[in-house]
Amino acid sequence: MKKSYVLALMLVVIAAILFWQTGNATSEYANFEKAATSGDKVQLVGTYVKDKPTIYDPLTDPNYFSFFLEDLSGAEREVVLLMGKPQDFEMSESIVLTGRMQDERFIASDIQMKCPSKYKDDEAMIKSLTES
Amino acid sequence: MDVQYLNEHLGPRYIGHFALLVAFFAALLSLVSYFMATQTRGEVLRSRGWQRLGQLSFLAHGAAVFTVIGCIFFAMLNQYYEYEYVTAHVDGQLQQRYIFSAFWEGQEGSFLLWMFWHVILGYVLMVTARSWEKPVMAVVCSVQVVIVSMLLGVHFGLGDMLIKLGSNPLLLLRETVNAPIFQQADYVDLLRGNGLNPSLQNYWMTIHPPTLFLGFASTVVPFAYAVAGLWTGRHKEWLAPGLRWSLFSAGILGIGILMGSAWAYEALNFGGYWAWDPVENTSLVPWLMLVAGIHTNLISKATGQGIRATYMFYLGTFVLIVYSTFLTRSGVLGDTSVHAFTEMGLEAQLLFFLGFYFLLSIGLMIWRWNHIPVPEREEATSSREFWMFIGSLTLFMSVILITGATSLPVYNSIREWINPAFDGLTLIEPEAHHNKFQIWIGIFIGLMSGGAQYLRWRERNFGKYFRSFALRTGIAVGGSVLLTFLTLLWIQAPSIAYKLLVFSGWFAIWTNLDYLIFFARKDARITGSVVSHVGFGFMLIGIMASAGNKRVVSQNQFLMEGLTEDEELARSTVRLYQDIPLGMEDYVVTFKSDTIEGLNRRYFMDYQRMDKAGNVVEEFQLAPNVLYDKGFEKIAITNPSTKHYWNKDVFTVIMGLPPEEQSVKIRQETEDSLKYRVLALDIGERATFVDTVPIPQRNSSVIYTYGIELTDFSRRPTHPDYTAEPGDIGLSARVHADRSGGIGSHDTVASVALILREGLLYHYPAQINDMSLRIKIDESVFEQLLVRDTDLDYQEYTLEPGSSITVGDQVLTFERFVSQPQVDHFQPQEEDIWVSALLSTADGQQMQPVFLIRGKQPSGVRDEITNLGLYAHLVSIDPNTNEATLRIAQANPTTALSIPLAVAPRSYRTDYITLQAIEFPGINLFWFGTISMMVGLLISMVVRIRTRVPRRAVQS
Repeated sequence: MKKSYVLALMLVVIAAILFWQTGNATSEYANFEKAATSGDKVQLVGTYVKDKPTIYDPLTDPNYFSFFLEDLSGAEREVVLLMGKPQDFEMSESIVLTGRMQDERFIASDIQMKCPSKYKDDEAMIKSLTES
Repeated sequence: MDVQYLNEHLGPRYIGHFALLVAFFAALLSLVSYFMATQTRGEVLRSRGWQRLGQLSFLAHGAAVFTVIGCIFFAMLNQYYEYEYVTAHVDGQLQQRYIFSAFWEGQEGSFLLWMFWHVILGYVLMVTARSWEKPVMAVVCSVQVVIVSMLLGVHFGLGDMLIKLGSNPLLLLRETVNAPIFQQADYVDLLRGNGLNPSLQNYWMTIHPPTLFLGFASTVVPFAYAVAGLWTGRHKEWLAPGLRWSLFSAGILGIGILMGSAWAYEALNFGGYWAWDPVENTSLVPWLMLVAGIHTNLISKATGQGIRATYMFYLGTFVLIVYSTFLTRSGVLGDTSVHAFTEMGLEAQLLFFLGFYFLLSIGLMIWRWNHIPVPEREEATSSREFWMFIGSLTLFMSVILITGATSLPVYNSIREWINPAFDGLTLIEPEAHHNKFQIWIGIFIGLMSGGAQYLRWRERNFGKYFRSFALRTGIAVGGSVLLTFLTLLWIQAPSIAYKLLVFSGWFAIWTNLDYLIFFARKDARITGSVVSHVGFGFMLIGIMASAGNKRVVSQNQFLMEGLTEDEELARSTVRLYQDIPLGMEDYVVTFKSDTIEGLNRRYFMDYQRMDKAGNVVEEFQLAPNVLYDKGFEKIAITNPSTKHYWNKDVFTVIMGLPPEEQSVKIRQETEDSLKYRVLALDIGERATFVDTVPIPQRNSSVIYTYGIELTDFSRRPTHPDYTAEPGDIGLSARVHADRSGGIGSHDTVASVALILREGLLYHYPAQINDMSLRIKIDESVFEQLLVRDTDLDYQEYTLEPGSSITVGDQVLTFERFVSQPQVDHFQPQEEDIWVSALLSTADGQQMQPVFLIRGKQPSGVRDEITNLGLYAHLVSIDPNTNEATLRIAQANPTTALSIPLAVAPRSYRTDYITLQAIEFPGINLFWFGTISMMVGLLISMVVRIRTRVPRRAVQS
């Protein structure tokens, strides 16, 4: 049985190392300030600022979408998303971005949006069901 | 207030509710009976009695489950929208072939699908499991009890708490929501369905869920055998049937997972077949665990080693299946996954489901730990079982890593529950993270699945065998190095790990084929194993080729400074104008045209591949499409189109449309925001105007001078987009537009038309992209030109040819009939019969109202002399008397023909799309390899069923 114990021990050690690595690959959601100080790639949560300029003009550059985002600490910064404007962007309740700060702008290479469910209440649902 | 509702179909509701209760209590009774039958297995008669009861109640349970499914299908097929499940998943436009997709779109439907397979598997087990039937069926029934309870929809009070057990799929809409509409007795007639999510209207969605759920459901069988083995203490006897079932389960579950990734690749815009999405991960993890279990099961059968591990892997597989159900259905994944179900209020029940089987598994293991036989002699390091065991542990490692990373949302929920201020943790780049670890696991498994084939079971005398082992392994390493070298001439492997991955793939292929050729004669049972392991090798190479070497063809054309390489890669869409070819990498792509059919809009892209000298090597067309939501207010989904070659795929998907093409609302807003100016022009007249366009970035502006000339005008409308229909009234004009100012001058001729059809006006404007100019005929033209019949005061006259009448101040002469005249105001179609009455005034102006017979229906076309205000219809012709009945009216004459043209500058083009094109080299290696893995598992199963000891031999 000795060999099995050695194997089990090895497994525990490798698992511990790998888990430690996983721990390093995770982080808390950052805000603009943290992203600026670290300079690394981070994930960041915020909400779309509707009354600031939002630019997407595929005729100029289909991979450039710029808007303003308010992070959880209340700071507002310009975000440049390196892809087209996602569907239902204006409807999003909260936005998760992956990217980094470059000077005053946040360069995002990935976006996830949380959209409100289709119907705000039962009445809206029934209304949509009765319209043909 | 009680309302007597009209037109409700309550049959399926009553039958379905009753059947659900039957299903629940029959499963419960069957569970108790099989449990008692197992417990009393020493007393043959008593045990057999309990077993009979168990069998009968399980048969009843199955019948009840089928009835529930039948009731839901009945309501769906008949579109009984009073049922909540029907309104949620069906609508009038749903094609019959998607009715299955609609059924399992919802949580309840997919639970029923899962139960359906459990029932089928239960029936098979009742026939084939022999002495294992009692304990195994007891476990299957217990799972059924838990799942049915999720559909019961029973509410009961327990002290102060109201406990809700399950969500019933056969509830009426009025029972689930409270809305004023249910005050109306005839509310049923007002309801419409919501319809099936467009992304699921796909044939993959018809075959992927049932296969995946059969895979899910079948994991209960190895689990049940493991529990039965522990329960009855027959630790060795269950290994053979357990192995057969786990081979089946792993094969089917694997195929189900592959169908999911094929669906993602073929029908969604993910741009790949695997994204490490939590839902994908939680279906992969049980499969890996099951495969680990299959390997230890083989070891246990051959040597008696590793029975404990086999128990744990099979128990773990099912617990992971339940865990995956919990993750995807409880809403805990939240925003980390694109395709988790919405919450259904079953969190507590799901947690119980998970906790119960987790604790049961651990409890049984602890209880029986010392009872499980372990051979005294341990395996030698040079034996096959040793390395297979290491392989299983490596798979288990992979399971732990993927599960750990996927469970971050669960970890966060727990931390938040303890400390509400806790900020959730997240993987910054999940794909890169998973790839980093799994690549090494892939390398390890590849090497071991190859090398272990050369080792022997229970090796005691490796010294003797060593030369042969070293020789074969040495040749295999040499051959694989060569093949790896050749492969790397084709694809790139930027790091040593990637190179090793390719090597490991070839090593697995080489060694397994070698093994097959030299050993298959002795033992046919190894065929399945070889097919699977060769498949694994091909899969590794396929992953390296297609994912590691995917090439974004649609590379961004615009410069942006300061980006990293990864970020530059994210910019993977290009913009294509219609009919303007665009060179991307070695392709020239032209957006040719698009068609709309229902909500489906298909775009046709011509691809030309060029060689280095710029010659066209080949041409093909791809047709990606977008589906609009109802009402054309947004894009519901985009579907890619892929050109398949034996050695690569060219994948194309539409990433975006101009806002005006995405939504009719935006299109109308844009149209309304244009600043039209109306220019009234006679034929040959030219007008000019000036538009100043600011350039915000440079704080300056460009001044454009536009010139618009009306070159022609016709009352028989022609326009490239216009097809004439009978009854149309309209007009068209030719316009010559020019623009000077800015960088260059432009000059274009365009057609515009305006049609009145069945009381509605249709514009056929001209959009001149070179000068961002939009021209249409202003609607005020009708006030001038097209006087409506209802506004006119007609008098009827019956006249012979040659006779004259006086209308107002004009004398009109009916000259003669003209058969089949070619006139400006009427466009004849084939098989039309038409005659006109030629009327002329004293000063020689003429008009020809037309009498028309089209498809046996008589009708007419009016003619007019606008400057005199005369309008005439030819109502009928009397062939006997040769008289014409005419209706003629006079109104205020309208003055000279001037056509009001509405012209808007700064109308920007909408004839473009944004597109992503990716080349996946060697993707077929991935599909071939993965399919081969699953087929190998199923071959092994078939071989093992055929070599099974016949029943008679067991009984005697």
